[in-house]
Amino acid sequence: MSILQQVPRNALVWIIICLFALLAPHAGRLPIWILALYVVAVIWRLQVHRGRWSFPSRSVKVAMILSGFVGIYASYGSFIGLEPTVALLLIAFALKLVELSHRKDAYVLLFLGYFICITEFLFSQDLSVTLYALVSVTLVTTALVAIHRPGEQEFRLGTIRVASGMLLQAMPLMIILFFLFPRFGPLWTVPIKSHTAKTGMSDFMKPGDVASLSQSADVAFRVKFDGDIPAKSALYWRGLVFSRIEQGVWSALEFYDIPANQRRPQEVIGDGEPIRYSIIMEPTQQNWLYGLKYARSDTRGVMQTSDFRLFSPVPVETEYMYTVNSWANVAVDEVLSDWRRKTETQLPPTGNAKTRKLSLDLKAKASSDEAFVGLVLDTFRREPYVYTLRPGLLPEQDSIDAFLFQSMRGFCEHYASAFVFMMRAAGVPARVVAGYQGGEINPINKTVIVHQFDAHAWAEVWLASRGWVRVDPTAAVSPQRIEFGLEEAMASEGSFLSTVLLSPVRYRSVPLLNLLRLRYDALTYQWQTWVVGFDNERQFDLLRSFLGETTAKVFAVVLLGSWALVLLPVAISLLFKRDIVPVSPLGKHYRIFCKRLARLDLIRGPGEAPSQFAQRAVKDLPDYADPLWQITDLYNQLAYADAKLSAANAAKDLQHFARVVSRFRPKRHSAALSKETEL
Amino acid sequence: MLLGPEHDSVKNDALGTERHSKGIRAQIKARFRGWINQRIPPAREVTLDQRRIFIFPSRVGFFFGGCLLVMLLAAINFENNLSYALTFWLATLFIVAILHTYANLSGLTIRAVRAEPAFPGQQAEFHLMIKRSKRRDHFALHLKWPNSSETLVNLVDEDSVIVQLHMAVGSRGWFSPGRLLLESTYPLGLLRCWTLIDLELYALVYPRPLASTDLHGLATNTPDGAAVFVDGSDDFYGFRGYRKGDSPRQVYWKGLAKQQGLLTKQYTAYADRSVWLDWDMFAGLGTEQRLSHLCYWLLEFDRRGQECGLRLPTGVIEPALGEKHRDRVLKELALYGKERRSR
Repeated sequence: MSILQQVPRNALVWIIICLFALLAPHAGRLPIWILALYVVAVIWRLQVHRGRWSFPSRSVKVAMILSGFVGIYASYGSFIGLEPTVALLLIAFALKLVELSHRKDAYVLLFLGYFICITEFLFSQDLSVTLYALVSVTLVTTALVAIHRPGEQEFRLGTIRVASGMLLQAMPLMIILFFLFPRFGPLWTVPIKSHTAKTGMSDFMKPGDVASLSQSADVAFRVKFDGDIPAKSALYWRGLVFSRIEQGVWSALEFYDIPANQRRPQEVIGDGEPIRYSIIMEPTQQNWLYGLKYARSDTRGVMQTSDFRLFSPVPVETEYMYTVNSWANVAVDEVLSDWRRKTETQLPPTGNAKTRKLSLDLKAKASSDEAFVGLVLDTFRREPYVYTLRPGLLPEQDSIDAFLFQSMRGFCEHYASAFVFMMRAAGVPARVVAGYQGGEINPINKTVIVHQFDAHAWAEVWLASRGWVRVDPTAAVSPQRIEFGLEEAMASEGSFLSTVLLSPVRYRSVPLLNLLRLRYDALTYQWQTWVVGFDNERQFDLLRSFLGETTAKVFAVVLLGSWALVLLPVAISLLFKRDIVPVSPLGKHYRIFCKRLARLDLIRGPGEAPSQFAQRAVKDLPDYADPLWQITDLYNQLAYADAKLSAANAAKDLQHFARVVSRFRPKRHSAALSKETEL
Repeated sequence: MLLGPEHDSVKNDALGTERHSKGIRAQIKARFRGWINQRIPPAREVTLDQRRIFIFPSRVGFFFGGCLLVMLLAAINFENNLSYALTFWLATLFIVAILHTYANLSGLTIRAVRAEPAFPGQQAEFHLMIKRSKRRDHFALHLKWPNSSETLVNLVDEDSVIVQLHMAVGSRGWFSPGRLLLESTYPLGLLRCWTLIDLELYALVYPRPLASTDLHGLATNTPDGAAVFVDGSDDFYGFRGYRKGDSPRQVYWKGLAKQQGLLTKQYTAYADRSVWLDWDMFAGLGTEQRLSHLCYWLLEFDRRGQECGLRLPTGVIEPALGEKHRDRVLKELALYGKERRSR
């Protein structure tokens, strides 16, 4: 093996550090056997290093690769998708370590490491993930530096200084390139979809679903309003509309359930000034987006469904930003189609007989649909209904009857579901709407943070001439929930986030922790708008505000100019280091003299005396005999003169010498000519 | 005549361009030699600066570039801004690495120290010194001549280091190892920074020793009537005091151990006689063959501790004994009919 191919021990240690650093962020998503594989790989490689075991033979390697594939298939059921791909990369990384013997193996391993760093971002572009990636890239780069330092046979922490120094120098260049590099759409569609379940809404709802969401303190999305933030009680973030009930489970209509002519929403003219806001959603792996009633988005790619929800044709797999205009008071679906009316009043033919009867009784008392709604809500208000996160189990059969007449304990989905059931039982078109209600206002940057525990379900009733009207039966039972949020509503029960002990949201009452949390959240918002949500529109705005016009020429000039600005000091700091032997001021000037001659290929040899050198130079450059001897004699005088004598006017002499040297600018014209004529 | 290699190559260049029959490759080679001799003139000591350092992405660098392209495709297709950022970070790291790789060679001084003589086919040892002038660490400096052994050195704790390279030498005369390749890919391996320098370092190559069964006319050619050389007669005669230049093989080491001082053993057959190795002993043979035989016999006499002198058409070396003498004679043989250099 060539000496160039050897991998020093220091590098091996750094590579193993990288290995675990890269594994760590993925560890939670991986099957346990891959983690075990990493431990085995490292032990194996270390034993090889100590000379106890040998490198795997070709057949063992093939067997390991095949079993890796089989293992992935067994664990994920497919090779397509983000998780199995990343798992494969990680397995390759571990196996490559086992066979690492040459430097070229180390290159493959470390470049694979950079790839693994990038895959972290496909799962999340969170600030914390990014900070971690900074660390892992630094570690991989350190290992790359370490393999180029031969002879370092023990671990050296200092290697990280070189790598981090270079990465820091590259950072400003990267930032410039990041903002200048043109963004365009995907070149081809990538079918890779994450299979990890995310906490969040699903497209069906059964009792207990929303309550379980309330145990999560994850952020669902963040909202920034252009104007004032509306009252919390008005923040009903619509996400899903459930129009169908089957066996106690509410579900949304599929696109193909809707007749072709009604798949587009009815035209609604927004009157007056809309509420303008932008939303950055955390990844949900789902298609639906959130918005206040009646929402219209001008972001490219955001669509509207026939029940006036916002919808993205591609699942939200990373942080996603869109802007919305909402008109809160506009009537939607003023005219209800026959199909729609039939769908939104449909109930299972049997079941929940008591509820149906109550509904019909109340309807008979009411003079109008509106009055009927009021009567039903009055019932909720009057009777001892309890709003609770611990409603207890309900029977499969006649669950609404059981809830309304026996347990009387429920969370929002129980009330919404029972309310809509009663509406439909009396023939009034109604549906369940799921989404989030309220949110936490971050005083630092005036954003609204909507958490998973803000998940909520309410109802919409269709009333003649008013269209679809929002009715929240939960508000009738627990007004605090709507006014102040879930924490307040559950204060007496003590069930708010009772299962997530470590969430910072739980410690909102500690002022310092809360301030830190809100600051970090504000930072996250900035991060998401400027980095994660940076797209060609934002780029265009940014560049126009900074550069005025955005032609290719301006682009190139700005890019290269700013790079030169960064690289120049780096080059200077690298190349102009202190000399090892300090040079006297006299020597410095003599050196300039030598340098000028060196340009004419007259190089002073090591240990060549100045007068010897002068002799040689005069022979080559007879035209300059006078200055050559003048400078050389002066130098010899000053350098070897009696210290006592010269001390008096040393400064003057030096000045004189410097002047003579600076005037000496030899050229070769005459010399070159004479040479040619000789030939 | 003392001819500098610079003039040499200029001549070669001229010849190369004249003779089209030499082929395009040879022409390109000659042109390259001319160009590089202009750019980096041969010298015993070379300090590396921007004129002498070349830099280009290494094979690993191109591989890395390919990886970056794949990463960029991923960033574009997933519309993932942080993937963009990481890709750009690595790309700009590449650019910063240009400066660092260059700095790793810049300011180094390489000096030819010496080259050990060798017989044809043997490995000659070349000693080089690498010195830094600035307070900067240099890593993984890889040195080699075409076909020589290679070495990898760091300049971290010391300011200069002497390295040895070995290379099989060719035929008799001065052997030039060619241009030394000094390269480094430190710190990231993505770029290769190198220089090709001619250090005017030549190894002396002795003639190939060639045995001949007997030495015709040895007796007649020795004016002081030395005995005919008889194989194997090395009877011990006595001791004399050690003189500088005596072969270590003849030193009586046991005497030294017995604290009798350094003594040299003397043998009867050769004690006070000397032989002459003469060019004319091998009349009728070619130059190289004669030199080879002379070389063989010189070594043979040296081994046996016999004083011998050398007579060549170009000069005479008086009989003497010892390593210095032997080397002097060998050098004379090596350079017979060849141009001479001061070193």
